[in-house]
Amino acid sequence: MRSEQEVDTAIERYADMVRRLCMVHLKNEADTEDIFQTVFLKYVLSSAAFESPEHEKAWFIRVTINACRDLLRSIFRRRTVSLDEVLETPAPADPDHREVLEAVLSLPGKYRDVVYLHYYEGYTAPQIGRLLGKNVNTVYTLLTRAKQLLRERLGGDGGNG
Amino acid sequence: MDERIREAFQQVRAGEALKQRTRAYLAQRTRGRPAAPAGRRRLAPVLACLLVMAVLGGGSWLYFVPTASIDIDVNPSLELRINRFDRVLSVEGYNDDGRELADSLDVTFWDYNDAVEAILESDTLSALLAGGEVLTITVAGSDQVQCGKILSDMESCTAGRQNARCYAAAADDVAAAHDLGLTYGKYRAYLALRALDPDVTPEEVRDMTMRELRDRILTLSPGGEAESGASGHHGWGGGYGHRWGAATP
Repeated sequence: MRSEQEVDTAIERYADMVRRLCMVHLKNEADTEDIFQTVFLKYVLSSAAFESPEHEKAWFIRVTINACRDLLRSIFRRRTVSLDEVLETPAPADPDHREVLEAVLSLPGKYRDVVYLHYYEGYTAPQIGRLLGKNVNTVYTLLTRAKQLLRERLGGDGGNG
Repeated sequence: MDERIREAFQQVRAGEALKQRTRAYLAQRTRGRPAAPAGRRRLAPVLACLLVMAVLGGGSWLYFVPTASIDIDVNPSLELRINRFDRVLSVEGYNDDGRELADSLDVTFWDYNDAVEAILESDTLSALLAGGEVLTITVAGSDQVQCGKILSDMESCTAGRQNARCYAAAADDVAAAHDLGLTYGKYRAYLALRALDPDVTPEEVRDMTMRELRDRILTLSPGGEAESGASGHHGWGGGYGHRWGAATP
């Protein structure tokens, strides 16, 4: 079992990332808190030795995405909620940030992980493929299609990613 | 647009209250458990390197020889070959849909639990299963201990899925299935259906969904009738039905 200091460091280092992945998948704060508990308890009890900070970060991404999917499989959790609830009140004050997040969250689920991992975390398509267990060509297709959908919703040139 | 997305995500942060509640939860769940000495974890990469060297130093056949297989049938029909270290060596499609799905996956050298989970969560299979299709997972191999463990893991993995069944099979039976170009799940269905309809061919069965096969078996069974809704764990008629994890007769 990991020490309290290790856990504190991990929470400070990865809590924002786990929170963003939860936002991409989940509907409300209670579910997000469940995921936080699940992910960091797994970390506490895990004896995995990480070769590098990148390896540790990839572990957190995979465990968080899997935990979100497990939670969503429970049909009792499935319900429709407003964007305010998804983003947790208060919503981002800047209307542009809000518009962008609304556009990302309105994408079909299969695009949201790759959008977050590519645009925010800066992973390449091959890296995302390894993280999510998807063929790299599938990831390229998802990114291209997501970019088209976001361009339709937000305007602009679609960026260089 | 890239920068707008990055900045928007940057605004989303975990609140201090959430972090504190998480710390409190972890403290409560782990009270009384001693922390593992850090040195033990530091040794793990060294041991991993030694293992890699041992494998590269002449024992690679140990790693690359399959000792078990996991057949997944819905209509995509796939087979995962597993080594003695529980890692996926290959994924093979047994029909056009299976080959297409296999090509879209990259789970080689994954732990089989993670691989099966990723496959069941793939867009293709999750959509089919949500639509009420039937999932059959069959475990076979030469090592009974390993096969028992895999079967148990598959039962856990599919627990809660009303339309899933898990079986164990003997390696010889799986070989007979492969001789006909079928996964074992389809082969069992083919044998059951052939007993009721001698004209049925393996080619016909290969591209049918497990649900179509089950419904046809039920329809042809004496007094049988295909169900229209999602199935429970009923038999398929003609002695084909089994409990979760029932061993191959």
